[in-house]
Amino acid sequence: MPVALELTGIRKTFDGFVALDDASFAAHWGQVHALLGENGAGKSSLMNIAAGLYAPEAGRMMVDDNPVRLAGPSDAAKHRIGMVHQHFKLVRPFTVAENILLGNPLSHVDGGFRAKLRQMETAIRAMAAELGFEIDPLKRTALLSVAEQQRVEILKVLLAGANILILDEPTAVLTDAESERLLSTVQQLARRGSAVILVTHKMADVKTYADQVTVMRGGRTIKTVDPKQTPAAELVRLTVGEAVTTPKRGTGTPGEVRLAIRDLKSAGSGRQALAGVSLEVRAGEIYGLAGVGGNGQSELANAIMGLPGALEGEMRLEGLGDLKAASTSARREMHIATIPADRYGVALSGALSVAENFGIGQVHTGRYGSAWRLASSTMEADAKAAVASFDVQGVRSIRQKAALLSGGNAQKLVIAREFSKQPKLVLAHSPSRGLDVRASAEVHARLLAARDAGAAVLLISEDLDEVMSLADRIGVMARGRIVAEFGQPAERQAIGQAMVDHA
Amino acid sequence: MPELVPDMNPLALPGAPPSAAATPPGTVPSPDVGPSGVADAGATGGADEGANGVASAVTNEATSGVARTARRVPLASRRFTVEIRQQLAWHWQALILAIAILAGMAISAAILIAAGIAPKDLLNEFVMQTFFDKQNFEAVLFQAAPMIMIGLGASIAFRARFWNLGLEGQMIFGAIAATAISLYEIGPETTRLPLMFAAAASAGLLWALGPALLKLRLSVNEIISTLMLNYLASNFLLHLVYGAWKDTKDNFPHSPQFRAFERLPDVFAGLSSAIPLALFVALLAWWFVDISRAGLYLRFVNANPRMADAVGVPVRKMTLTAVLVSGALAGVAGFVVAAGQEGRLTQSFYTGYGFSGILIAFLARNNPLAASVVAILIAGLFVTGRSLQVFYQIPFSMVQLIQAIIVICVACSDFFIRHRLRPVVGRGA
Repeated sequence: MPVALELTGIRKTFDGFVALDDASFAAHWGQVHALLGENGAGKSSLMNIAAGLYAPEAGRMMVDDNPVRLAGPSDAAKHRIGMVHQHFKLVRPFTVAENILLGNPLSHVDGGFRAKLRQMETAIRAMAAELGFEIDPLKRTALLSVAEQQRVEILKVLLAGANILILDEPTAVLTDAESERLLSTVQQLARRGSAVILVTHKMADVKTYADQVTVMRGGRTIKTVDPKQTPAAELVRLTVGEAVTTPKRGTGTPGEVRLAIRDLKSAGSGRQALAGVSLEVRAGEIYGLAGVGGNGQSELANAIMGLPGALEGEMRLEGLGDLKAASTSARREMHIATIPADRYGVALSGALSVAENFGIGQVHTGRYGSAWRLASSTMEADAKAAVASFDVQGVRSIRQKAALLSGGNAQKLVIAREFSKQPKLVLAHSPSRGLDVRASAEVHARLLAARDAGAAVLLISEDLDEVMSLADRIGVMARGRIVAEFGQPAERQAIGQAMVDHA
Repeated sequence: MPELVPDMNPLALPGAPPSAAATPPGTVPSPDVGPSGVADAGATGGADEGANGVASAVTNEATSGVARTARRVPLASRRFTVEIRQQLAWHWQALILAIAILAGMAISAAILIAAGIAPKDLLNEFVMQTFFDKQNFEAVLFQAAPMIMIGLGASIAFRARFWNLGLEGQMIFGAIAATAISLYEIGPETTRLPLMFAAAASAGLLWALGPALLKLRLSVNEIISTLMLNYLASNFLLHLVYGAWKDTKDNFPHSPQFRAFERLPDVFAGLSSAIPLALFVALLAWWFVDISRAGLYLRFVNANPRMADAVGVPVRKMTLTAVLVSGALAGVAGFVVAAGQEGRLTQSFYTGYGFSGILIAFLARNNPLAASVVAILIAGLFVTGRSLQVFYQIPFSMVQLIQAIIVICVACSDFFIRHRLRPVVGRGA
């Protein structure tokens, strides 16, 4: 197969930090080429260069053996390179057709905006039918599910004429079934002649769908191999450089009921995100809540965290009474540790320093000085110690912005803060989302350690593997309710069935 | 740039299998790529690279053995891309800021020269006379005192993400309350001045309380509510000075003159006590935002209120506190103008302060100590403006023009703090 896109000797630094060094790789027409690596290995940076978002400091880029220089994504589009980003670039109040028209203004088509919009609608319908997507071009993007939004992104780059398609962590936000569907669709696209580049850290996706895989580590491309011929263990070894040990769950020793939720409902009429959730989490156990995203998990997590939202029903914490009435700071006093799914939305402030992000968890206790005078040095010393003991990497200075940390390290910083006092209740919502193998294993080990230390852990995750491997008991959430509960050892099939039956 | 995808059919599935290694049917030739493609690989070395301004790629390209002729990359294709900068060391930020201010001053100087001021007089008037002449500098500081307070008021409200545009209204009520204490002779002579101070602070605070509660309880947009309340305040002020509080001695629309003990005394000849008062308040504000625990909370509220709430920061309490402090500071600024400068309540003492306050907070990035310095510089501009008016017949609006130019330059410099420009390197088009 001829080479579609070739990058050679790419170097890129960010304020002195070398993100890419001598990275090279070549994707071929008609193939799915996977780019495998941990968080911060440089996969996204390399692909952002291919998509024209970053300019490399050194190196060469060839499309169809023609050297190219890209000054932006529109340049990349001219070379028929299209990228679907991990974080979607959609205008939420716009309809699907408007969003796609925005990226591809159909300037060669005569007629006004309305005419172009109508033509785009027909084009979308045709293309969606080809790919087997169910998309209503007139629907507003804000109303679409994550999987649907992703389809819009894919349609957008395809309709702009892309035949070199880059997908950055496309399955990170999808369920098993959705991922399977998406990946077989992109495989089909490749079979029809396009070049598809799949950025991922999921070994299974690579094994099943990729024709070639290039492994990246520390900003360098390590090796390109055929995934079908290479054992998974070898791929893991190439990715992380050494073997990662997955933490052993062991058996928990459940104690008394710590968190009791009875018939918790979203207040008001209309469609309720929470439609009567009842569950109990005992001290010393991990309760895993599985389910397809958007079935009330976020609302439940927000309710436990104390974020705004009117609620009916009961939510009690053993020994401390009504949780519903407690403020967020009062909840902190109750030793509730939260690891939210939306890391930079509600867990960390990217604009503030690592030390401040760490210290905010305990500053109200007076540990970091009185209300009159903040003891910054104590706070920084504590943060330094926590960064070291929780192995948060990439902290060049304790005063650097938290936004500079990679996903896995940002998550470790959150855990370092939340676990700085012995937690009684841990709420972890998709704690390993966007994290690589090694970081996920570390997060899981922390959750298990918290359980063994007697905390009640509520793990909400859409990743069934994660729930299966960590939880002592498993609940399935669908349509704002717990529809089934399983003890361990649970049957994967049965859990999956419960998710589907009530969807 | 013309649309370069003339053959694009949105209905067509992408990428019919490419015919050969060269140009597949879908690939559109870019304007800068000649038809020769890689045919001339290795033809020339890196000699032409320097001319194209892509020096960093020289070694790499020379060693990679692929090169192109100079004609294929015209000078016009020396392009730059914009990237988001993640972090910039503070001294670089300071340098960029300094360059911006210098650029603003250079433009302003050019305009003043065009208006007929000799370049050598410019330096003399703006720098030597204003900041190095003792008497003039005292005048600058005297002018700066209320500006420092109003700038601090704006900074603290903005730190809580509360856009307090009602500084003038709060200032008016501060002055009215202070005047009421004087007019109705409340309290003994010795405590009259502190009482006026306290009354002004409370009145400013109360005038800010309404919009704060409206925002926190009912999510009423504070930009509108605070701005509109300014009109209420200014018309109430006119109602007083044209009506019940009109000076019976001269029948002008202002209140009677304050008695000597109701005016801010001089620390020593020429230096009003308003100046040390303003500096003391600036120190207090610095303590509040940089030293106290509330300051840390405010930084979180400023960065992301939702996240702050989730980690247990008392967001509503902090917002309310910041707004009330802001209102109180504006009220005190009104007191300083009334009891320090005018010696009575006048009908338009407040004009321009609200705008200046916002401007000072913006230029100082809501930092109290920087706000004090900026306030002194702006006051210098005002004092110079007045002398330009007298000696050169330059209209006072020129001062506002200069202010605006400097602010725009600083606002533009933000682009370079948040972004970096990079030359596009690599091969080909």
